Amino acid sequence: MDLASTLPTLLGAAWLLPLASFVIVWLFGPRLGHAGKHAGYVATGAILGSFVLALIALLSWTGKHGVFVEAHHDESHAGAPTAPPRSESSPSKSPVQFRLVAAAAEGEHADYAHYDHEGKAYYTGDWYTLAKFGKLQLTIGYYIDSLTVVMFCMVTLIASCIHFYAQGYMHDELHDVEDHEVTLSDGHHLHRRGRYHRFFQYLSLFCFSMLGVVLSGNMAMTFVFWELVGVCSYFLIGFYIERKSASTAANKAFIVNRVGDFGMLIGMMALWSSLGTFNFGDMAVEDAASGETRSQAGIFSQVRPGPSHELVVPEGMKQAAAATGSEDTERCGYWLLVIAGVGIFCGCVGKSAQFPLHTWLPDAMEGPTPVSALVHSATMVAAGVYLAGRFYPVFAPEALLVIAVIGCITLFIAATIAITAVDIKRVLAYSTVSQLGYMMFALGVGGWVAGMMHLVTHAFFKSLLFMCSGSVIHAVHTNDMTKMGGLRKKMPWTAYTMLVGCLAIAGAGIPFLVGFSGYYSKDAIIAQAIAYKEVNPLWGVTLFVAAGGAATTAFYMFRLWYMTFSGQPRDAHKYDHAHESPKVMYYPLVVLSVFAIAVAWPITIVGDAAEGSPLVHLLNQAVPDGVGSMEGAVRGTLAASVAIPSEHASHVDAIHSAATMLAFSTALGGFLLATLFYGWKYLDPAEVRNQFPQVYRFLWNKWWFDELYDALFVKPAHLLAAVAAWLDKNVLDRIIDGSAKVTLVASRYDDWFDRLFVDGLVNWFGRWTYGVGLAFRRLQTGSVRQYAMFVVLGTVVLFFLLSLFLGTAVGR
Amino acid sequence: MSSALVLLSLVVFLPSVGALALAFFPRKSEDASRWFALATTVVTFLLTAWMAIPGDGKSAQFQLGVAEMQNVFNVSWLPSFGVQYYMGVDGISFPLVLLTTFLSVLAMGAAWPIAKHVKGYCILFLLLETGMLGAFVALDFFLFFIFWEVMLLPMYFLIGIWGGPRREYAAIKFFLYTMLGGVCMVVALLALYFNSDVTKLIGKLSPAEWRATHLLDAYDSRIDAAVTGDARTFKAVELMQADIASGAATEHTFNILAMQQLGQKTDAFDAVLLGGKSIQWWAFVLLFIGFVIKVPSVPFHTWLPDAHVEAPTPISMILAGVLLKLGGYGLIRICYPICPDAAHDLAYFVVTIGVVSMIYGAFAALNQKDFKRLVAYSSVSHMGYVVAGLGVWSAAAATGYDADYWKMGMNGAMFQMIAHGISSAGMFFMVGVLYDRVHHRNLNEFGGLFAKMPVYCCLAWVIFLAGVGLPGLCGFIGEACVTLSVWKFSPVLAVVTAFTVILTAGYILWAFQRVYLGAEYKGPHEEALVPSTWRERAIGATLVAAAILFGVLPYQTVFRYMTPSVDKVVADLVAWQRRDDAVAPAAAMAGASTEPEAATPAANAVSANE
Repeated sequence: MDLASTLPTLLGAAWLLPLASFVIVWLFGPRLGHAGKHAGYVATGAILGSFVLALIALLSWTGKHGVFVEAHHDESHAGAPTAPPRSESSPSKSPVQFRLVAAAAEGEHADYAHYDHEGKAYYTGDWYTLAKFGKLQLTIGYYIDSLTVVMFCMVTLIASCIHFYAQGYMHDELHDVEDHEVTLSDGHHLHRRGRYHRFFQYLSLFCFSMLGVVLSGNMAMTFVFWELVGVCSYFLIGFYIERKSASTAANKAFIVNRVGDFGMLIGMMALWSSLGTFNFGDMAVEDAASGETRSQAGIFSQVRPGPSHELVVPEGMKQAAAATGSEDTERCGYWLLVIAGVGIFCGCVGKSAQFPLHTWLPDAMEGPTPVSALVHSATMVAAGVYLAGRFYPVFAPEALLVIAVIGCITLFIAATIAITAVDIKRVLAYSTVSQLGYMMFALGVGGWVAGMMHLVTHAFFKSLLFMCSGSVIHAVHTNDMTKMGGLRKKMPWTAYTMLVGCLAIAGAGIPFLVGFSGYYSKDAIIAQAIAYKEVNPLWGVTLFVAAGGAATTAFYMFRLWYMTFSGQPRDAHKYDHAHESPKVMYYPLVVLSVFAIAVAWPITIVGDAAEGSPLVHLLNQAVPDGVGSMEGAVRGTLAASVAIPSEHASHVDAIHSAATMLAFSTALGGFLLATLFYGWKYLDPAEVRNQFPQVYRFLWNKWWFDELYDALFVKPAHLLAAVAAWLDKNVLDRIIDGSAKVTLVASRYDDWFDRLFVDGLVNWFGRWTYGVGLAFRRLQTGSVRQYAMFVVLGTVVLFFLLSLFLGTAVGR
Repeated sequence: MSSALVLLSLVVFLPSVGALALAFFPRKSEDASRWFALATTVVTFLLTAWMAIPGDGKSAQFQLGVAEMQNVFNVSWLPSFGVQYYMGVDGISFPLVLLTTFLSVLAMGAAWPIAKHVKGYCILFLLLETGMLGAFVALDFFLFFIFWEVMLLPMYFLIGIWGGPRREYAAIKFFLYTMLGGVCMVVALLALYFNSDVTKLIGKLSPAEWRATHLLDAYDSRIDAAVTGDARTFKAVELMQADIASGAATEHTFNILAMQQLGQKTDAFDAVLLGGKSIQWWAFVLLFIGFVIKVPSVPFHTWLPDAHVEAPTPISMILAGVLLKLGGYGLIRICYPICPDAAHDLAYFVVTIGVVSMIYGAFAALNQKDFKRLVAYSSVSHMGYVVAGLGVWSAAAATGYDADYWKMGMNGAMFQMIAHGISSAGMFFMVGVLYDRVHHRNLNEFGGLFAKMPVYCCLAWVIFLAGVGLPGLCGFIGEACVTLSVWKFSPVLAVVTAFTVILTAGYILWAFQRVYLGAEYKGPHEEALVPSTWRERAIGATLVAAAILFGVLPYQTVFRYMTPSVDKVVADLVAWQRRDDAVAPAAAMAGASTEPEAATPAANAVSANE
């Protein structure tokens, strides 16, 4: 079995299945079973099929490349076991050397022609071309490494669980719905038809778009699916289209994401116009002239050419800098590189709801809960982190500093807001923002594997948490935690799976022995932060913020759990009506909690007993070239004080145990504090609230971000719009209408002139002629004798005159 | 040759033949008039659709990969002035021709609710179609101008008679603006004509280039059939020269392709005219004004909102879908190739106009309360991409005349014209469907339409998202190509261009929310909001299908037809730039590192002295 052809086929099929489901449900939705009930089966079947295909892809990957990587700090770690030895002996102008292992040579389809690279193992190629201009090409293709495969499995698995769950959760939509949140002008609640099939239609499109982002082989394709993910979230957040709040939240999500895309476009333009390609990996291209196949260096190997894979300013950027007339092309080109990196990261900021574009995510809670679960775990927000991870080789140390700082700010702000929120979904939403901040922070401080691992573990426990909260909302019909309490007796499955989720997100575990999945990923992040602090004393404060964030996370998560499930019911009516959700809803919870516990466990599947979990090892296979092989810290060019430590630095025992203890103690601290307040109720939260009213109000109002942005951006935009419209109406149109008026006035004068002088002259002449005519009329007497006399007289006069003139003429 | 004459004449004049036939219809036969007009547009569309099936060059079908004109015919019309009945299509005009015939069918379908003077409407509509098609295929500048003006009158009456309450104001405004453009154009046209001198081309063109201008077609019949190949061309050139010398023919020409060669390869238009600027500089400015009025670009755009608001739905569709495209088409076919020097000089100005239109139109759209006005301003914004994309002259000596990004911009601009034709026609249609029901367009008095007209709303959603520039729909490709190409030309303008994506999403989604979403309808005539009819669904679904098709398969549907010709325009201009730089000593220094390549090998040049 040749991986170069099977992997793209498998993942491509897994990617297209949800699209097929989307098309079917879109066109035939309402006719699929009673009220579109079968649409759910179609969509679920499609995503399950995708999952199976992704699983097969994972197995074939491990079959070829194995699971375990020999040793971390071996420089050639990234090379898969079967990777060929490096051919350093043949000097070549091309920055990266290739060896054709050529599926093509074996008669395979040319699309699958695959080069085995000296760095990490990946497969890339194009499926079809969108447009081609000279050397420039926009294509739809794939870039598959172990991260792609892992993400595929994770996304399809979680999405499958959510599809099942949604069949139960969206059950109401199968018949007519009365929307209690919408009151019509006649005072009644809105009564509308169910939209069950619509929901699954969007869900399928969402999965398709997300898988597209993961599979994407170039930046253009990423942007395409990036936008599609955005529009799917727009559809799903605004699913209850009748609710003003929902459609406004949907608009907000889309537009805020577009703000991020604005930055992303700038980054893309900087790359595109200097590198001339959007391909991530090195692509085999056929030379039209010679018919030979040669390799075209992708973005990654242009920025980090082999064999050292150190970050350099690519030739294209130097040329672009030179074209602007810059003296120091190296430095100017480096600026361009930083702009490109930060620009792309702006897109990630939007999608992954990082500060300052985090405001859309909590509002996105307007969507049905399964959507929140999907948006907040495996798709959308994950897309941002995924792209930051995928694009990692291009980030210069300065760009990474931006990422780290943004991540750090985000995790702190979101965690503080989550403390005061009482809407169960909003608490989770802010926890998502905070955890995404962690991931970005991890990436920023050099922890690629740590960040990606947290992305995977978080996806499992956050989808679990959201679906649990959905189960609770389904039971009590409110999001308000102050109306819950004691529910664990009524809904034990939900309560205890949610407890698993809380423990996982808090990073619970027995130090140095075993823990929930979050324990491993959070440890790795903290460890990397410690390593970062060692080389960057200036930015070391980020470590404390991260640790504080970890404590806060534990606090608000257990606050949530206690408020919802323990103690006495606060609303007896709601409590009495509460019930455990149907099996189709809580079975997925069980599945997800198994993964939330064990996805990062260091278990050995087959033989090879290496340290670390299979997940870590798989991710290690995908560490970008030049990132994993760094010996020491890498320093910035523009800001030399910025240093990015190698990820191996955090594996040193001293750092590792310090991190473990730090993570453990902060989590424990948060947990104990929550228990003091909400479990044992030794302390009264209301008292604390009254003690610090300003702080409380500040947090309750989410740091006033919405109001700030409204004043800073929304209002000015509307003002500018009004100015533009005013200009059109009062300046441009005035000029036009004014010139028309001037013409009219001019024509009036023209008319006057015409009448007075031109016409006057003509009329005068006419009158004169008439007068003359009248005068002559008197001669017309009608008397023949008189006429005869005139004739004779005339003849005489004529004769006299003629003889006078002619005579003189003749005489001369 | 003659097949081209028949085919293109048929395509162009079939609608007017239909209009003529309609004139003999009885007054009362409204349905018959509609059906007949629709049938005429359908037949015209089918003709062009047949042409779109890639052919091998033997039939009149479009030949892929050919950059030059196809299906050309050139018949003498007014020989003393050198005016010819001269038409042809290439990758630039053909997609626009197809778009015209396609939208004409849909717009005729959308005209069913029109009840006033149906016969007259149909006649004018068909005449309008002839005007549009003729302008796209005409290769004689004079002929082009005639068709350009032919469009104007039917449009004036279609707005002025079938329009809304302020139709007379709008019609006059439209008429005056376009007339102003026409006047500018005719001045430039005459200036170029009287300075053109085809004998200057002698020695400058290769035989193939001579043939491509179709200047010599008339002389072929006078040459012995035994003379073939290049010798035949030489002979024809000699005959032409002799005719001109003897006064039997004029050295002036309206031949657009010959004018392009004159502008690029000779100094025919380089004489200083006024204010230290050359003839071609002034011609460019005048033509540019004439064309951007049509596009329209800021600050010549204010006729558009009024015209659209007052025009009946199908006329808005045609106006936005096709007429605006003539502006862009004129720029790429006439302005740029004939006046390369001026175009190069004013490149920054052109792109700035485009970018300002983008952002200004978007801001103005954000503030509109009239649904149709909003869509009209979105047109201003979207057509700004066309002007910007055409103008990004990023090839320079310092970058080794790398024109790929300009090619991308120009191709993107041309794609944007097609895409905007689909999406804006769709948006106007969607507005029209609502207006037909409730007779108002106040954005704040809609809402809750999804429950009442689900199919219609679903289609509208797709169309409006195409307007937002969502990937997978037609709006994305053009905008992305243009946006990505601007950076190479000017990073500052590129940032402004990229910023537009936020505003576009803002005004369209906000409008969509106010009109379609929400719980209940807030305006008058609620009872009239009945589900869409089969006719409306058919038109909407066709547009949606086109939007998806163009968005998913841009290469197969558009670029493979378009790119060779557009690339040739760019390549020719860059070749001109190389020659120009080689002449200018200062620029020659900069370009010394890159080998100047003679685009016209002297060895191939035809000289009359041979």
